[in-house]
Amino acid sequence: MLNFASVITSGLMMWKTLGAITNTASPIVVVLSGSMEPAFYRGDLLFLSNPSAEEAKYGTGDIVVYNVPGAAIPIVHRVLETRETGSKNRAQREQKLLTKGDNNPVDDIDLYNGLQWLERKHVVGVVRGFLPYVGYVTIAMNDFPQLKYALLGGLGLLALIQRE
Amino acid sequence: MHSLYARVNNVSATMSSCLMALLAAIALSTFLFTADPKGDLAITNVKVTAGRDRRYRNKSQDYALVNFNVSADLTPLFNWNTKQLFLYLEAEYENAKGGKNDVVIWDRIVRRKEDAFINVVGKNKYAFKDITNTFKKVPAAHYALKYNVMPYVGALTYGEAGRTLESLEFPAAE
Repeated sequence: MLNFASVITSGLMMWKTLGAITNTASPIVVVLSGSMEPAFYRGDLLFLSNPSAEEAKYGTGDIVVYNVPGAAIPIVHRVLETRETGSKNRAQREQKLLTKGDNNPVDDIDLYNGLQWLERKHVVGVVRGFLPYVGYVTIAMNDFPQLKYALLGGLGLLALIQRE
Repeated sequence: MHSLYARVNNVSATMSSCLMALLAAIALSTFLFTADPKGDLAITNVKVTAGRDRRYRNKSQDYALVNFNVSADLTPLFNWNTKQLFLYLEAEYENAKGGKNDVVIWDRIVRRKEDAFINVVGKNKYAFKDITNTFKKVPAAHYALKYNVMPYVGALTYGEAGRTLESLEFPAAE
């Protein structure tokens, strides 16, 4: 039991440390939609980071994961336009973004739930690295809940009958 | 001790760590390929037309139309870990207050090495607008051809394959 707890907590610690280093709330995400095909398919794993606060600017061509209010799932799309507005002081200027999925014919305005532009607060992170297929396990478990219970049950049974 | 379960466990653990090491090696090998190909980018014509906003019909909106020629040999970017190339042409300008504006006006996905000889005479694919709805106060813009190399596994890398030497003015709306 103690063993189990230590596995869980060390996992959580690693996740949080990774988040602190990369400056995002979720440093690893799984692709859930096909709008970036043929680059990213459902189930691919993406590694994210954010530019540090001082030079917090995104560039065109960056692939960002964003979450607009009222949207069910985070979206992974590429930045099409960046616009700086507001203050004369460069560091205080805000950046407005427009994104588009590589596989979509039009930009994302209709996905923003009434917003005209995406802002920094909506962006979870920029995609820096890529690992195919690995995340499919989580999608499979969501699509087929029986698999999740079978897996959990199997693990529990093993834990009961195995003795070191 | 040497039960079937223990054996299966051992074999699968070894296999998965071998696979991880192999993937890491492939991902790291990308950094050994440092190709930096350059191409030619020429903006042949910039025109501004006055029109209506596509969303709010009663709002007037200027659209810039850009004609360009691109020729570049991007085959060196294809190595064993290149899944595809995302090529894009962007306009860059600073507005009166000094705010940076970068707008992608054309892009292309290149999936095969054979298709990486780029030779395009084209015009902008996406609506090119300014946030003020007009190009009257927008200063001259630079144009740049950039690319993003997307790997089978590992880090995404970016580069620039061409840039206009002089900035181009936006003419008055027609």
